[in-house]
Formats: sequence, C-alpha cells, structure tokens
Amino acid sequence: MVSSGSAMDPEQVVRRNPPGTKAEDFYKWSPQSFDEMDSTLAVQQYIQQTIRQDFTDTETILTAPPGQDEGVWKYEQLRQFCLELNGLAIKLQAECTPMTCSQMTATEQWIFLCAAHKTPKECPAIDYTRHTLDGAACLLNSNKYFPSRVSIKDSSVAKLGSVCRRVYRIFSHAYYHHRHIFD
Amino acid sequence: MANGNAKETEADLEFLYDDSDAYAHEISELYTYSEEAEFQFNKDSFAKLLKSRELDSWAGASQENRTALVMHIVQTLDVLDKNERFEAVRWTLYLVQGAFGECKTAEEQRLNCRENCFLLYKLGIFSIVQELLMMEINSTPPVVVPTNKKTNLLSLSDSLELRSLMIIIYTMVETLRRENEDDSNENVKLRKEFYTELEQGLNDKEPLVITLFNMVCKFSSQTTSILPMKKVLLLLWKLLLTLLGGYSSLHNKMEERRKELDLPLLEENPLKIIREMRASVPPTSAADLLDISQAGKRRGRKVRILFLNLKESLNEKPQPYRSILYDLGEDNSSDNMNNKEKSNEPLRREQQAPDISDLPHVKVVSGLPWTPKARKKDVELFLNQVRQKFIGFSLPGDLTTVAGLPKTTKDSLKILRKHTYVPMSDLQIAKEVEMTKCPLTIGKQEVISTGVTERLYQAMLPHIPQYMIALLKILLAAAPTSKAKNDSINILADVLPQEMLSTVVASLRLGIDVNRHREIIVKSISGMLLLLLKHFKLNHVYQFEYMSQHLVFANCIPLVLKFFNQNIVAYVTTKNMIPSLEFPACVIGEKSEITAETFDGVDSNSVPCWRNLFSSINLLRILNKLVKWKHSRTMMLVVFKSAPILKRALKVRQAMFQLYVLKLLKVQTKYLGRAWRKSNMKTMSAIYQKVRHRLHDDWAFGNDVDAQPWDFQQEECALRNNVERFNVRRYGKGASALTNSTNIPTTTDEYTPVENNLQNLLKEEVELPVEFRKSYDVWLEREVYYSNTDWDQLLTIPCVQ
Repeated sequence: MVSSGSAMDPEQVVRRNPPGTKAEDFYKWSPQSFDEMDSTLAVQQYIQQTIRQDFTDTETILTAPPGQDEGVWKYEQLRQFCLELNGLAIKLQAECTPMTCSQMTATEQWIFLCAAHKTPKECPAIDYTRHTLDGAACLLNSNKYFPSRVSIKDSSVAKLGSVCRRVYRIFSHAYYHHRHIFD
Repeated sequence: MANGNAKETEADLEFLYDDSDAYAHEISELYTYSEEAEFQFNKDSFAKLLKSRELDSWAGASQENRTALVMHIVQTLDVLDKNERFEAVRWTLYLVQGAFGECKTAEEQRLNCRENCFLLYKLGIFSIVQELLMMEINSTPPVVVPTNKKTNLLSLSDSLELRSLMIIIYTMVETLRRENEDDSNENVKLRKEFYTELEQGLNDKEPLVITLFNMVCKFSSQTTSILPMKKVLLLLWKLLLTLLGGYSSLHNKMEERRKELDLPLLEENPLKIIREMRASVPPTSAADLLDISQAGKRRGRKVRILFLNLKESLNEKPQPYRSILYDLGEDNSSDNMNNKEKSNEPLRREQQAPDISDLPHVKVVSGLPWTPKARKKDVELFLNQVRQKFIGFSLPGDLTTVAGLPKTTKDSLKILRKHTYVPMSDLQIAKEVEMTKCPLTIGKQEVISTGVTERLYQAMLPHIPQYMIALLKILLAAAPTSKAKNDSINILADVLPQEMLSTVVASLRLGIDVNRHREIIVKSISGMLLLLLKHFKLNHVYQFEYMSQHLVFANCIPLVLKFFNQNIVAYVTTKNMIPSLEFPACVIGEKSEITAETFDGVDSNSVPCWRNLFSSINLLRILNKLVKWKHSRTMMLVVFKSAPILKRALKVRQAMFQLYVLKLLKVQTKYLGRAWRKSNMKTMSAIYQKVRHRLHDDWAFGNDVDAQPWDFQQEECALRNNVERFNVRRYGKGASALTNSTNIPTTTDEYTPVENNLQNLLKEEVELPVEFRKSYDVWLEREVYYSNTDWDQLLTIPCVQ
C-alpha cells in the first residue's frame, strides 16, 4: 500500500496489510531486493516475497542470496515450510481421522513411529501430523537450540535435517492416501 | 633409567596409567566371547541390504551411494514394525563394526569404523539410536520371562535389542571422543559438534547420563533384570570421561583455577612424577631380614628421578629445594624439628650430577620425589607450641608475629611457610563458613558456575545416595573374592549363552569369559567413581564430600579392603583373555580352532593385565581420597585390620600401585604400635622414600595418639551438617536427601511473602477434620447458639479502648 501525500519522502512504501484489507488486496506492495532489506527478519521477508512472486519456481525460492549464511537460510526455509504446511494439515483434518488412517503410512510398506514424544510412540496419521508440526514449531522457536535468528550454531543445524525428514512424511502420506487434498 | 641392581630377578610390571586403555582394547572389551555368533548375523543382514540396492560392497560404494544407504537406514529406524526396525539396527551395527566382512586386517577395520562413525553421526544416527534406546528401556516388561526355558536363567538372548543399541552408542562415543591427527577438517568440526551435543544434553530434563544411572539403580534393586550392565557401565564411564575430561585436562583446570584465585601453583605434575618412579622390592619376610648382606646391595638401588624441566631453566625450581635439604642438614641444633629429620642424613646421598650445560633440559636430582607440603594448621600448631614454650602465651590466629623467638625457630618457620600449600578446598570451606554466618549478604553473592561438572552435579544431586549404593552393590557382586549368592544381583545375564554348553573346552571358555566380564565391570565402576570424585573435588569440595560420605555410608571402605584381600599379584597378572576371540580378530582372517591348548596362554609376569591393574590402582586412590585427613575413617582402616592386607599388596611390582598402598599405610602407622613399626622397617623406609612428606607430621612415631573415639562421630556429623547446609543453600530444599533435612532452615523461609488478600484466603479450601464434620451440628449448638458472650463488657475493658 503506497501512502500518498507524504511530502517529505514520496518513495516511502509501507509494507503492511493494515486492518480492513480484503484478502485479494493482501501483499500488494512492490518487491524489494534483498540487499535493501534491513530488518532482522529480512530472510523471512525475502523468502515470502519470492514465493509470492512465483510459487512454482522452486529454484529461485531455494537459491540463497549471495553471502547469506547457509544455516540461517535453511532455518528460515524450514520455518516458512512449516507455516504453510499448516494449511495442508487443516485440510487433512477433515478427512484423515484415527478411524481411516490408524497408522502413519507413506506407501504400503512404510509405517512410521511418531518421534515427537519422549519415547517414540505409535500415533495415527493425523496425530502424527499434528505432533510433528507442533514439535517442529517448538524446536524452531526454542531458545535452547535457536536463540538467534541471524546466526545458527552448527550443532543446531543438524537438528533441521531430522525435522525435515519427519515433516516430509506428512507430504508423502497425503500424496498416497489423500490424493485429492494433496492436489 | 635402568635399575642399578642387575641381580633383581623380577622386573617391574610395565604399565602406563591413563584415562583408559588403548582404543582397540576398549572396543574389544565391549563384546563378550559369547556374542561372537551375532557378528555373522549382522554381516548377512547387511549383505541382503546391499543386494537390494544393487551395490557390491560398502567399501566400493561411492560417497553418494553411502549417504543414500544411510538415509535409507535412518528411515527404516523410524518404522513401526519391530522386526524391520531391528534389521535396520543390525545394518547400523555392521557399519559401526567397520564393515568387517570386507576388511583384511584389523587396522583396516579400525579405519573403516572411524570413517563410518563420522558419517553416521553426520546423518543423525546418534540421536535416533538414543531415542530408540529410551523406547526400549521403557518397554521392557517388569517381570522378565527368560527365553531359555530349560534352565530358566537369563541369558544373552533376552537382552538382544538393548545390547545392540548400546553397542552402537558406545562405539560411536568411544570412537568420536578420541582425537586423531589424520582427521579431516570436517571431522574435527563433527567431533566438536558431538561434544557440544553431549554437553547440551545435560540441560535436558533427563540427560543420557542420568538415564544410564537410573538403569543401574533399577538393575541393582531387582534380581531379574535383563539390562546389559557391563555395557551400561562402560558407556556411562566413557560418557563421563568425555563430558568431564580426563586426568590431564583435570590437572590443567586445577592450575587455571589456582591462578584465578591467586594461589601459587603446585610446581609438580603428579602423574608425570609417578610415571618416573620405580617400584621397590616387596617387603621381605622375617627370614630374609636376617640376611644382612642384602642390605648393602639394596642401598645401591636408589630412587632416581629425571626432572624434565621443559619450562624452567636450570637455575630455577630445583635449586631452592636442594638448598633446603642442605639447610636441614646444617640445622642440627633445632629442637623443634622432628627427630627423624636429623636421621635423614645417612640415608640421603647427594648424588649431584654435574651441571651438564650442553643438555640444558635434563637434571638428575636424587633424593625424594615429592616436595614436602605443610598445612596452615600445622604452621599454626607449631607457632602455638613454640610461643608457649618460649614466651608463655599464644596469639591465636596470628601467623606472622615472630618477636621473641630464637633464630632457629624462625628458620624452621621460614621453611614451613615456604612449603605451605593452600589447597582450594580450604578457601572454599572458609567461604562456606562466611556464607553461613551472613546468608543474606555474602550468601547471595555466590556465583554458581555453569560448567559441565556443576550441571552434572545438579542433575545427579537428588539421587546420589542411590547411585552410590547401586554402583557399590554391583562392584561387590563383580569382585573376584565374592561368592555368588542366590539372591544377589545377577551380573552374568549378558554373558551366558542361550544353549547350555556341552564340551569341556566350551565351559573353559565360558569360565574365562565370565571372569573377563567381571573384571571389565570392576574396571568401569572404579574408573567412574574416581573420575567423579576428582572432578567434584575440583568443582567444590563439599560436592566431593557429599559423594564420599555416601560412599562411606554404603560401606565402600570394607568393600575395597575385601577386594584387596586376595592374591593381588595373581589378580593383576591374570590373563583372562583369548586373543583369537577378541573383536575384531574373531571376524577378520582365519578362524582358528579353540582347543585346550589355547588356554595355556603366555604367562609372562612382567606384562600385567591392564584393566586389573588399572582397577586396583583406582580403588586404592578412591580409598585414599575417602580417608585423607579424616580421623574417623582412618580408624576404620585400623579396625578392619587393613595393615596386613596392604602389606601383602606391596608385593605388586608397580610404582604407582605401591605409592597408594604406602600412603594408606602411612596414615595408619601411628596407630599400629611400636612392635609393628619395628618389624616393618622396610615398609617404613619405603614410605619415607616414596610418599610426600608433610612437614611437622608425626606419622612414624605415634607419640601423640589423639584417638578419642567419641570425637570421630562428632567429626562426621559436623561434616554431614556442613554438606547438607551447602546443598540446601545452593540447590534448594528438594536437593537434600537426608530425612532430617527439615532441621536445616533456609533463610528464605522466614521471608517468603504470606498471602494477605482476604478474598483469596476465603476462597481457599480448608480441610476440616472428620470428627468435626460428623458432629458439627453439636458444636454449632454448643458454641454458637447457646453461648452468650457479653460483648459490651468485652469492649469496655480498658486495654481494648
């Protein structure tokens, strides 16, 4: 939303959705290049912007801008991914119940344990989805492993891998068992 | 450093004391001989995996293929089906065992193992296996039905899953904790990450270390338990070693701490000195004592020490020490010195090596290996004595005024002061006393460190008594001198094979296996206890005291003495090992036939069994630490008649071992009586030569036997109270494990705010007593309806105006 009538700085663009904006008017501001962003959440901003520009162009979305710390990039990507996956989880909720899918299956041969508990437990698919997403959110927000969003410890980067793996299984379950939602 | 006397028939035992044995031995000690069959299963399982992936071999696979394979394993480890998961565990096992099927030599297997461990760690196997272990522990049923129906004994097959997981974790810990110069940069980084992960794990609600400790407790409280105790104990020991650091890092930490507190550094590195010491000939029997001609030869064999002074130049430290020896020699007129100091001269021979200026770093100094130490208490006592004698009154607490004392006394005071060593524990205790006096000011200023040792202590604190009891129970069961009782805990559950053995050879093999099993258990417990004691002592002396008290209450002292009440020489040279069955030799190369001949092993007496000697030395050191400076516990040693046991133990020809035995004898000698001292002159001389002197310590003469039995209990109680106070102050009320903990009030009790809000108070549920609830209407009648209080009169009382 471009604020007009600002005599002092006609170029000022406010990138916010003020209250009252309609859904189709969301995010209607001009994109900014990464170097110009100077907030602490620049990476998240950048990723979200790139997705909005073209959400099918995964290459561009995944390419880190030059000089960007790789750990932080992975972290932000994963974070964004989890944010958006919540939408899928909500849609799955309607169809995937403990009655229909009592185990977390990917294809017919792969049945998985839910690792979000103190000891791995057997959870129905929808519970697996919920627990894993909750667990991922807790981990990504925890101060112990990710105290800062601009620098990530190497030991914490390793945790991202296992989170990715578990979250990915939600996808594969949806693909094989709830195809229409997936599409 | 050759032994001067060539007529010695037996050489010293070759032994290098270290944090742990060589890598290869540690790994092979993880497996019992009975587990040999399982290696093949792992290999076959992995071969199937390779085939399903159309790969020929692990060694031939490219890095991407390897990564893909491991990722597949990772996926399978998360699967619901138990059998499939266990297949994945077998694949992981095969990888941590270095893919031995493709190795031709043991060296290759070790390299493979290291490489694989790094890869597995990078891809996150360590945390997954840890989670699986938690699952396995929590899912074991409380009453175990042994799979061997014929004998109803617990055997190997009952603990298969647990053991496999423990093997993976242990191999990874043992491999990754060791440094290797050939490591790539990435591997160095991975090692650091590994250490960070372990250390951060201490912040969890239940760190891995605590889980393992709880397993130990659970095991020792049940008679039927399938926990593979040897592996648990080994893993626990190695984890503690990795987290806390070994003895050399301990020494460095101590020096740093002393620098921080502005205390002078101890100029010696005890481990180095001990390494250079030579063993003395065992005390001879009475018959030999009559052979006086031996004495001349024995005197020739002096203790020579090479001080490799890499840091200091020729003109520094050793000089003042030698000059002091000269001072003592000249100071014949001093009454205040111990008589024995004067008699030192004939024994001491100044074999001064000429200053070899072309070898600037080597100095040969004969004489005593250790610089003498004095305590502040000793200086105080001495000053009091001397002041009383010469001046007539004492100045308590004053350590500096020397007016009116003769010159010789002043000289001896100078020497005492020069050798005064202020241990950090003294400062810590003094600080504690201060904090107890002023809890609200000084007490609040305390800064509790967030180092690993501190966090470990906090995690262990609520259950330290149980852990100590459990560990000692297992130590007792595993000690060589214990007879197996029916109701005692069964430590052999992970050694007995499933089928009963038929041949003589097989039962001989099992016998050796069982003994080896017990020795390894003793080794890990002794290593662990000593490590914890030393680290806690460095961190804060009361943490050390807390742990040692619980050890003493759990009868550690008689246990260790019982341990030594055996043919210790045989114990340290025993060879409970069949080289061809050790891993990896049993899976690489030709399988050789085990016949009765293999049991007549090489019986050379100069190569000791590393683990037995290690355990014995550790137990001696633990005993020393428990008993040092504590009258009550020293008397326990006397009461338990430890002197003959320790004397017999001196037969072991190893300097470090003998040193700690001599130390234990030294603290007791004054209580043993003149007759004992007279007949054990050799031992007394050995103590003199080997053990550090404490100036003003009357150990050899028993002149001032201040053995008041009722004081001892008081000492222990006072110490107990101090430790309690320390724990409660630092860690809160919940930390104290003693039942009478409510006797120690905390200052905050009086100052916690009390609820004042009327609304809240009225909302509170109050539990009325049962009798009241039943008969409240009677009470109501009596007290409320029928009681008549003249309120006006009450209000007109003058004081209520």
